[in-house]
Amino acid sequence: MNEKINLKEIEKKAYRFTFQDGIYDIMFGVLLVSFALAPIIRELIGLGYILFLAIPAPLLLTLGKKYITTPRIGIVKFGLKRQASYKKFVTISVILVILTVVLLILTITNIFPGTFGSMLDGYAIPLIIGISTIIGMGVFAYIKDFPHLWIYGVIIGLGIIVAEVLYKTVGTPLDGIITFGIPGILVLFYGVVILFRFLRKYPLPKEEIVNGNY
Amino acid sequence: MATIEKKTSDDIQSLTSIDKIIHEPARLNILAHLYVIESADFLFMMRQTELTFGNLSAHMSKLETAGYIKIIKEFVGKKPHTMLKITGKGKQAFDDYKKQMKQFFNEI
Repeated sequence: MNEKINLKEIEKKAYRFTFQDGIYDIMFGVLLVSFALAPIIRELIGLGYILFLAIPAPLLLTLGKKYITTPRIGIVKFGLKRQASYKKFVTISVILVILTVVLLILTITNIFPGTFGSMLDGYAIPLIIGISTIIGMGVFAYIKDFPHLWIYGVIIGLGIIVAEVLYKTVGTPLDGIITFGIPGILVLFYGVVILFRFLRKYPLPKEEIVNGNY
Repeated sequence: MATIEKKTSDDIQSLTSIDKIIHEPARLNILAHLYVIESADFLFMMRQTELTFGNLSAHMSKLETAGYIKIIKEFVGKKPHTMLKITGKGKQAFDDYKKQMKQFFNEI
């Protein structure tokens, strides 16, 4: 049975190798900082702030993987099992989004029982979105076999809930800066350190190796 | 006595029949990696196996000549790119090698 364990380890090592660039960490750092700055940007450019939230992080991930990671570590395609995990993720995400929307509708239309409804007292929506985010990111972390995602899910999910509490005490934009800005800068810093280590360990190889023409 | 001699002779035969192409540590490492993934390019294999360009090239050529891996030429953007993939024959040879080695060490 030892051979099986070793082969699994080789596959896992090869898979996790593709995450050693810190790009995902940088992406989540940028996403958290974007959340923190969103109220300020909204004041400045109005509804266009949604683009500010939606574009930079995914763009950074795509460009980073294309121009930094791939030229340094090459291209790998994993087996059907890994590919199937993406389908699972999409299915679970769709279910979770539907559940969240249903819960939100129930909350907005005051269908929750009286005592429970009053207990939530304005925190129901951030609570639902926060918990959904934690569960969703936890599932994503498990399926993608990337434990950091779970930590980022907790930061974002708890941040949504805590921001609502702080909103009533310190107001905007300080609530977002405390809940998302500070963790975002820490995550971003961590990602940049990992990226620098990666760049030092894996410099750009010669052209013939990049093209795989040996 | 005759039984022991027969067993030893069988063990030696089982050892000599081991696939020498796979038995080399670097090639075993390459084949084990290609066995668990769909395909990879030369650079990825270099990073994973920690072999030099020359070494990896030489071992890849041997594995390709034996029909254990195949080279797939494709385009990434506008640039030509070479992907490496284990063949059915390569998978079978790897499975047989595992079985033979396991059997041999179990019998010692």
